[in-house]
Amino acid sequence: MSSSTLESSPAVELKDTLKPPKKRSSKLPWLLLAPSLLVLAIMVGYPLVNLFIMSFQKYERAQLMGVPAEWVGFQNYTDTLTDPVFWTVLARSFAFMVVCVFLTMAIGILLALLMMRLNKFFRLLVSIGLLLAWAMPALAAVIVWGWIFDTQYGVVNNVLTKITGDNWMGHSWLINPLMFYIVAALIIVWQSVPFVAFTMYAGLTQVPGEVLEAASLDGATPAQRFRLIMVPYVRSIIVVLIILSIIWDLRVFTQIFVLQGIGGIAEKTNTIGVYIYQMGMAQGHYGTASAIAVILVFIMMGISYYYVRQTVKEEEL
Amino acid sequence: MKRNRLVATTVASTITLALALTACGSGDSGSDGASGDAAKTGDIRVWLVGTDTPADAREYLKTTFEKENPGSTLTIEEQSWTGLVDKLTTSLASSDSPDVVEVGNTQAAAFTSAGFFTDLTDKYEALGGDDLLPGFVEAGTYDEKFYAAPYYSGARAVFYSQQIVGDGFVAPETLDDYVAQGKALTTDTRSGIYWPGQDWYNGLPYIWENGGFIAEKKGDKWEAGFSSEGGIKGLEQIQDVMLTASKAPKDGQETDQQIPFCEGNIGFLSAPTWVQWSIKAEETAEAPGCATTYGSDLHAFALPGKEAGTAAQVMAGGSNIAVATKSQNQELALSALEIMLSDGYQEIMATNGLIPAKVSQAKFLPDDEITQAGAAAAAAAKLTPASPKWADVEAKRYLQDAFVQLAQGGDVQAIATKLDEQIESTLNS
Amino acid sequence: MSTLNPTVAGTATTAPRSSGSGPRKTREGQRKKVSNVVYSVIAVIVFAASAFPVYWMINSSFLPTNMIRSTDLTFFPGSSFTIDNYKNAIFNQERAPFLPALGNSVLVTFFVLIVSMVLAFLASLAVTRFNFKGRKAFIIAILAVQMIPGEAMMISIFRIIDGWQLLNSIIGLGIVYLSGVLPFTIWTLRGFVAGVPAELEEAAMIDGCSRAKAFWRITFPLLAPGLVATGVFAFIQAWNEFVMALIIMTRPESMTLPLWLRTFQQATQATNWGGLMAGSVLIAIPVVIFFLIVQGRMTGGLVSGAVKG
Repeated sequence: MSSSTLESSPAVELKDTLKPPKKRSSKLPWLLLAPSLLVLAIMVGYPLVNLFIMSFQKYERAQLMGVPAEWVGFQNYTDTLTDPVFWTVLARSFAFMVVCVFLTMAIGILLALLMMRLNKFFRLLVSIGLLLAWAMPALAAVIVWGWIFDTQYGVVNNVLTKITGDNWMGHSWLINPLMFYIVAALIIVWQSVPFVAFTMYAGLTQVPGEVLEAASLDGATPAQRFRLIMVPYVRSIIVVLIILSIIWDLRVFTQIFVLQGIGGIAEKTNTIGVYIYQMGMAQGHYGTASAIAVILVFIMMGISYYYVRQTVKEEEL
Repeated sequence: MKRNRLVATTVASTITLALALTACGSGDSGSDGASGDAAKTGDIRVWLVGTDTPADAREYLKTTFEKENPGSTLTIEEQSWTGLVDKLTTSLASSDSPDVVEVGNTQAAAFTSAGFFTDLTDKYEALGGDDLLPGFVEAGTYDEKFYAAPYYSGARAVFYSQQIVGDGFVAPETLDDYVAQGKALTTDTRSGIYWPGQDWYNGLPYIWENGGFIAEKKGDKWEAGFSSEGGIKGLEQIQDVMLTASKAPKDGQETDQQIPFCEGNIGFLSAPTWVQWSIKAEETAEAPGCATTYGSDLHAFALPGKEAGTAAQVMAGGSNIAVATKSQNQELALSALEIMLSDGYQEIMATNGLIPAKVSQAKFLPDDEITQAGAAAAAAAKLTPASPKWADVEAKRYLQDAFVQLAQGGDVQAIATKLDEQIESTLNS
Repeated sequence: MSTLNPTVAGTATTAPRSSGSGPRKTREGQRKKVSNVVYSVIAVIVFAASAFPVYWMINSSFLPTNMIRSTDLTFFPGSSFTIDNYKNAIFNQERAPFLPALGNSVLVTFFVLIVSMVLAFLASLAVTRFNFKGRKAFIIAILAVQMIPGEAMMISIFRIIDGWQLLNSIIGLGIVYLSGVLPFTIWTLRGFVAGVPAELEEAAMIDGCSRAKAFWRITFPLLAPGLVATGVFAFIQAWNEFVMALIIMTRPESMTLPLWLRTFQQATQATNWGGLMAGSVLIAIPVVIFFLIVQGRMTGGLVSGAVKG
């Protein structure tokens, strides 16, 4: 699992090349950007404007059929913000996100450190295992996990029955919202750890061996070496990974949506993404769904403000 | 849109096809309304949901349509109940809309109220008039206009195996008897009355028979009735059954019920009549049943009511059928819809054990014990509240959630109060 | 990466330290051995834990239905090995047909993959090689766009595609996916383009290449690993997505593979776990193969994109 990219463009060198050369050209860059801009403007920009407008309208199913939408001002926003269900869903999504991000990062970093210490064979073994988990399409992954935790014939119930001697057959894992989330977190962490582990591993291999050597000569413990030497080197990678994980896990949709189809109580297991879908696509309250989405975008911007600012600062160099 | 409603509305199974049918190709008296407008030809798409509609009915529809409309073709596209409302909402509003669509009767209002279906008011008489199932006509009507015609109704019956209940078994006379017998049949592993937690369709008879109601319109406001006196009594009885007579998963759905039944772990199984085919399937089939064991002496009765000799009021699941407003071939689509409501077509539905959309065709229902039990129950069937918002109540799964809490032994009064609040806030929003 | 080999790395780090005392060296060597065993054991556990669902999926897909629905677990098909589930999944005509769905998925995935790579390449050249007004705004925009919950925009996007009469078309679905993956691909590819020294292009231009030729002949080939890394995301997205596909591809003949897989779970029927597992295997295979081919290069993009800070 070595990364040829990294070897050819070590981090340190990269730092100098990343800021754009002082080429001043007004037309060419725009020409290069044009196709992407066109696609994004039409397929993201326009729907985004639409979303914003709809969030101030009473937009229901009838409006899809051409009935003019009624302007309702901040009604959708006040409705959403005064709806306890919204806050419950939001709080739940955050709690779920925090747990998933923490577990993913912790396990991912530990696995990366583990891979540093393994010999070729075992490193390959771990890589293959992680790769399999990563490559599984999300839909198929949830279905397989649903089958593993199946109430009637799932392997988990079966094994638990054999081990404990109690009768676990027929035990439903998804009924209890907490257990539902544990299963969902298991699926999500299982699928996101590989990305973190591989990326961290690739990053850690960039830490110069001499520095680590010198540190251990000075009597630094492995924990100290990690905290004081490795972490500063891969700090920006960790930040990116955390931000990405936050964005992905807060918006989590497929896993929850499919898992709800397999079992569990929808009302008590909705995350914000699924809630928006339920409100809009399933129930036809597009205006309210848009308002929720706008609120969510602001929240996400808030979370990643630091990171965005950081990026912008670097770009200004 | 979820599995649960599906089960209630589905009445046939693929195995129904095995029944020898001779009705095909004969008697299409109801479809002559389509003749005379062969001027425009086109290809129309009919969306049928699930596997409910038997294959010979599909064949009949296609051949009759193409015979009556030379040059035009009809394609049946099978849809899934899962996510149906979501998909219909976008498709019916698009330029590539299907022409004729089937929709669950409780979902119809969401579309009739928003202009998705062509107004069929002046076709009402031609389509069957008072011969059409009244409850379903109501479900397809909005603002005194008729948009979605009845398609068929599902029937429910209580199944049992003679081997389980014993030779001296006499079907219960009243609902209370039924519960008592169910409890007596319960053992450590066997459910006297099998009741997966999410199955709220099965709970409605208990509510209605005890004098409760789902929601009624008082003035211009909907008032939910689970916390009414009768509603509470019904819910208490439901919880009693769930806790003392059922070993089913507390959050289970009413799918795959043939599995515990075939293991001999069910005394009474209240389910749509098509479940019989799953139970009677061969042990080696792709979806195995138990043709040689518990399926060999399968019987059924209609769920009894509070008063001796009556059938309980059950939930009428079923489908409506409508022409899409955005269909490019209104004439042809209407012609297809007329065929589907013709006597010939509805006769095929009836012979396959589905309660036909036309009352007059019910005489073609098979004369076996199970179908008759289903028909007896259907005669006393009731519907969910006729509000365009009702589909939202189902989409939000309030009832499933409340029933799961009941099955877990939650406080009846609290559950009922919360459920009523949720239903009222949705219907009155 | 040969330095990562524990034995080599071990001697490298311990050698200078142990020069003074012999016994210490052996003790450390032993401790090293013990911890190597521990790490190896952990490695095996990690492998088992992450591969188990995949193994279980494959195992179930080769079992006959009656053994899947059994209280006795079967961990290896052995003599009851059957490919009926696959036959059923692929050839059962009552369900949506497999082959057209496969064809649609392959087409839409290739469309998204190729177009997104080309567009992202051009765009990342613009933001890394040039300094122009609006550059900063563009970078912020592609970052911010990734935070918008897509579920809320589905209806607007649907109406655009409908307006263009592109429902039930590969192009229509492809454009939707393209707009979904483009921000992330541009952002990731940017780091790779930055990793290719601009001096190389300048040298080529001195040699008489036009700027376009320099980009194409020099930069593009050097970007191969980066394109692979970003391509993975485009590939996964287009191959797996099903919610937009559900409303855009409404005709049976235009189904994609995820939609096809969902037809296995019919609400009225008992879940056919064997068929479902066979279907899942069929969907997962191309992704796994793709991953195996490109593996070592996938994470590089993010690292090189990130370490710049």
